[in-house]
Amino acid sequence: MWQLESETLIIIITTLGAIIGIVIGTIAPAIMEGIAVKKALDGIARQPDAANDLRTTLLISMALLESTAIYVLLVILVLLFANPLLNRFF
Amino acid sequence: MEDVIPQVVFYLFGLPITNTVVSTWIMMIIIIILVILIRKFKPDAGEMIVEFIENMISSVMPADANPAKYMTVLGTMAIFLILANILSIIPFLVSPTANINTTIALALIIFFSVHFYGIKEKGLVGYLRDFANPIFMLPLEIVSQLSRTLSLSIRLFGNILSTDLIVAIVFSLIPFIVPLPLAALGMLTGVLQAYIFTVLSSLYIGSAIEIEQNEKERQILKREIAEAS
Repeated sequence: MWQLESETLIIIITTLGAIIGIVIGTIAPAIMEGIAVKKALDGIARQPDAANDLRTTLLISMALLESTAIYVLLVILVLLFANPLLNRFF
Repeated sequence: MEDVIPQVVFYLFGLPITNTVVSTWIMMIIIIILVILIRKFKPDAGEMIVEFIENMISSVMPADANPAKYMTVLGTMAIFLILANILSIIPFLVSPTANINTTIALALIIFFSVHFYGIKEKGLVGYLRDFANPIFMLPLEIVSQLSRTLSLSIRLFGNILSTDLIVAIVFSLIPFIVPLPLAALGMLTGVLQAYIFTVLSSLYIGSAIEIEQNEKERQILKREIAEAS
């Protein structure tokens, strides 16, 4: 087995965690946003008069859905650029 | 990576001044010059901007509210954010909203103005009574008040920082032509985020000043009884 320093091990584990986290964290909001846009477009196609109301609601809900992906990005940026574990142990 | 993380430029009376603060000052000068120019040469354009923001606010406020009352906070926020989010296309300047301190300050302004306008509109007792209408909703209401402030600030910060970061990374790989579409996407995201921040703030203020339907009927009934007697 390889002999790794614990600092290297922590860097490897955080990088892996960041990759897995950003993949899962962007898939879920992307699917939900797709569903929201699909439903809103259905509504606009069925009833073009309601397009303005639907657009405002769609933009607000898209922002709320998008923010979950932004939270994931923020956690991962902290892990990559300002890792708290590295400062604590070394 | 040093392009996107706020750097200390100089110290003013012992306080560290980062480059985002300096670009906020430059943006304030730009806004003042723009306002003077618009007032002098094209007053119609200023009227159009104000009407656009007023329509945006009144589309999510309750129907009987007067949006002109809240223009001081929300209109300022909209103009500031639109300029702040697209400021990073000017070379050597960073968006002021790419620093989390700026966005938290903006979200705190919204947090306090929600309660200020709620108390101003309904009175202290009426606002506290409407704050959590069935009383067991009180903890949930407090948590939602705090989490909406946090999410408002982090959403703006994360969006602006991530687009700036993408442009910086692509620029370090291929510095010619290729980052341009991404910078354009960043401008689009910035304007959209400014719109969303303003609309969400007016939604929160609107929900604070909204009078419940049965409450309104009770007030009308009370007034009729007072007039009859």
